[in-house]
Amino acid sequence: MSAEEGATDLTVAPSAWRQLAGSLRDHLRHPGLAVGTGLLGVLFVVALIAPWIAPYPPLKTNMSNTLAPISGAHWLGTDQFGRDVLSRILLGTQVSLQVAFAVVALSLTAGTLIGAIAGFAGGWIERITLVIIDILLAFPGFLFALALVAARGSSLESVIIAVAIAFTPRVAAVMRSVVLTIKPRPFIESSRAIGMSEWRVLWRHVIPNALPPVIVVATVSAATAILAEAGLSFLGLGVQPPTPTWGNIIADGNALITTNPWISLSAGFCIAIAVIAFNLLGDGLRDTLDPQMKRQTGRGLL
Amino acid sequence: MLGYLGRCLAHLLVTVAGIVTVAFFLMRAIPGDPAQYMLGDYATQESLAALRAQLGLDRSLAEQYLLFVARALSGDLGTSVATGQPALVEVIDSLPASLALAFAGILVAVVLGVPSGIAAAVRQGTWLDVVIMLVALGGISFPVFWLGLAAILIFAHKLAVFPALGSSSDGGWITALHHLTLPALVLGFSVAAYIARLTRSAMLEVLNQDYVRVARAMGIPDRRVVYRLALRNALVPILAVIGVTFAWSLGNAILIEAVFSRPGVGSTMLKAILARDYQLVQAGVLALATGVVLTNTVLDILYGVIDPRLRAA
Amino acid sequence: MTTSTTAPVLSIRGLTTTFPGPRGEIVIVDDVSLDVGRGETLAVVGESGSGKTMTFHSALGLVPSPGRVVAGQVLLDGADLLRLSPRELRQRRGAEIAIVFQDPLTALNPVFTIGDQIGEVLRAHTRLSRAASRRRAIETLERVHIPDPHRRVDDFPHQFSGGMRQRALIAMAIALEPKILVADEPTTALDVTVQAQVLELLAGLKRETGMGLVLITHDLGVVARHANRVAVMYAGRVMEQGTAERVFENPRHPYTLSLFRSIPHLDTPAGIDLTPIEGVPPNPALLPPGCAFEPRCFLAGGRDVCSARRPALTPSDVPEHLSRCWHWTELAADRSPS
Repeated sequence: MSAEEGATDLTVAPSAWRQLAGSLRDHLRHPGLAVGTGLLGVLFVVALIAPWIAPYPPLKTNMSNTLAPISGAHWLGTDQFGRDVLSRILLGTQVSLQVAFAVVALSLTAGTLIGAIAGFAGGWIERITLVIIDILLAFPGFLFALALVAARGSSLESVIIAVAIAFTPRVAAVMRSVVLTIKPRPFIESSRAIGMSEWRVLWRHVIPNALPPVIVVATVSAATAILAEAGLSFLGLGVQPPTPTWGNIIADGNALITTNPWISLSAGFCIAIAVIAFNLLGDGLRDTLDPQMKRQTGRGLL
Repeated sequence: MLGYLGRCLAHLLVTVAGIVTVAFFLMRAIPGDPAQYMLGDYATQESLAALRAQLGLDRSLAEQYLLFVARALSGDLGTSVATGQPALVEVIDSLPASLALAFAGILVAVVLGVPSGIAAAVRQGTWLDVVIMLVALGGISFPVFWLGLAAILIFAHKLAVFPALGSSSDGGWITALHHLTLPALVLGFSVAAYIARLTRSAMLEVLNQDYVRVARAMGIPDRRVVYRLALRNALVPILAVIGVTFAWSLGNAILIEAVFSRPGVGSTMLKAILARDYQLVQAGVLALATGVVLTNTVLDILYGVIDPRLRAA
Repeated sequence: MTTSTTAPVLSIRGLTTTFPGPRGEIVIVDDVSLDVGRGETLAVVGESGSGKTMTFHSALGLVPSPGRVVAGQVLLDGADLLRLSPRELRQRRGAEIAIVFQDPLTALNPVFTIGDQIGEVLRAHTRLSRAASRRRAIETLERVHIPDPHRRVDDFPHQFSGGMRQRALIAMAIALEPKILVADEPTTALDVTVQAQVLELLAGLKRETGMGLVLITHDLGVVARHANRVAVMYAGRVMEQGTAERVFENPRHPYTLSLFRSIPHLDTPAGIDLTPIEGVPPNPALLPPGCAFEPRCFLAGGRDVCSARRPALTPSDVPEHLSRCWHWTELAADRSPS
């Protein structure tokens, strides 16, 4: 949005949501956005109905039929405990999506607030927040999550909290830099002039207008959260067996890679599909919501 | 330039101090008694008390923190419960293998990622751009440990050109290199995907600038415009992403090392985590984060060399 | 001022550039013909979006994709730039015909020194050594009156003021003594005193080297003081063309007259009240089939010929004063030359 447009609209902040809805409608033609949304929709439905469409109970072992090859009865074979791999993969969708959405919800809320307050308040609050963000970003994200999971014990909650904490400073950093570009706009100035409280200006004007770029970052963090969960589960530090997750299915298949490669390979493809879906969505939103932000968000997403 | 250098170094000191603090509180994130956690459920009261005293848990939090900082400054990051060795020594011993992997991986990544990102930007919208971007999307979307498994399956088992596991330390450097190749290629491909995507968008932005049009209007050959005049402008974001991927490589070395059964910081830390050897975990996290910050400082100084505006600011 | 009578150095014939639009090709540069002689200054005037800049970018093969030049000739000393190989075209750009870009803030590369950037141009066209091209760069900076060029040659653009950046850009453009220099809004981004200096510099360089100068501008004051000939553009078309004196004294197109009336200036012909041009600037995708200016024209008055048939650029009362208006004679009758 140009300065002139802002100037003609002094007290009413342009609604980011209307903008968002408008661009979603206009740009569903964007191939990446359409494919990403479609893939996510499919995954979401699979996660919801997995218990009913799974051909076998995913936890049921069958020691008389271990390591069955791919067949009509077991489309992806069975693992070393005779469990149906396809059923486990279908159920694994739940964990991955749960982690993705929970991490995004947590880190988006915390990061948006911290970043917005830091950018909006300025002064020493901003400086201290920036130093803290910088320090937290120095820890390799995956390692940080790993150490936190190790400290808290392995569970779904631990994984979510650890990955969310690792992501919050990244969201906060982006939010702060976006708020800095919004702060000098005329509608903020005029809202103050008509006596709106600082909190109200922040809540009503700054956050909604800064959201589009932050949503892009959040979408990409969902992709990375899925990868992080898979990595933790692969190392045996994530969601504990027998609950199937794509990561621990790959770990189970690791030793069998020469004889039954499809166990690991198929779970890996599922992870890739989910991650591609979020990445396509993120790239698409970036192109449609905010073409100017391409560079700002390049850093700090890993 | 001196002032800029000073600012970079001051920033480094503040960040390292912060890292030490975070590492200290990471230990406090353990719910309940860290000594209990480290020794397990069957520890005797005496051994618990001894460990508490050793860790300084019987003192106040402020005292503990000051003690930790003082020890960290003198290079004492505690003792590995499992081996009885100083934790820092354990970490440093396992560093070379990980650094070799990280550097080899980033070398592969830069060699693959930067040129393909430039090519995609210069040929924007052509089939070359589409292919490069699809491969890169795959590269950032498949888990790196899964890529490792797939590579082992293809190159070690089916084609048998590289060894699947280990990192021979006794077979001389040719064997070591032979063992390093496959993990480095996997890590490199994964990182190259990030670098290619960012290089492309940074180059596209620069290629749309007026000064690029001016250079072309002045009859400067296109190759020179792209590879000298435009590339240097795109170099700061490209270096930034290389710095970020270095941190990422160190963090993900743990996964690569697990897949390829290689020794290194990652596998040392994984063992420490599984053995609840918490001081070793702490030391490892501290050492890796400090490594990341040092890399970032070197990069910050490089940005100043590349972009004169940063020096002046 | 005298008009050059020798053969033109640059002769643009029927140049047409289009961009693909949602409903077919949009014509951005429409059958433009212009001549520039040695030592002559041609001013190209028009509102922003009238195709002035795009005309010269088209001539130099710099049209951004997906636009393309679909017709015309650009003869530089007899050679058609549009038919040259990319390599031959590149060798002429910067050496025989150079452009000074509009915005000095964005037209210089921020991470190279001024000397490096001039040196790049020199070494793209000559076999000068590094040291020799640096000496040439310093000499060139001296010619554009950069103070202390030995020191400033190693400065980065952000260490230069706006006016100095414009001079540095001009230095890049004249480093190889081109036959034609196209200055695109050379003064828009500068404050008034610096504007005058830059224009004086361009005029001086023209006298020294005998190059032909094209001034793309919307500043009629600049035109009046510096141009030998004027071409007025609207919606990608040349509407009127002639010597500066004739166009100023006896405009033969209602758009030109409207421009004079809309812009307050000391050079505004006396006795004319300021009136803004009515209506909105033309949308190149939705031009009327007849005269492009018809919807805003005070002379058209709903006459069918204006809205239905496209006028050609034809001689008015003197052969070299061209007008693209069906009713230019009414302007001649209205304001007969004194």
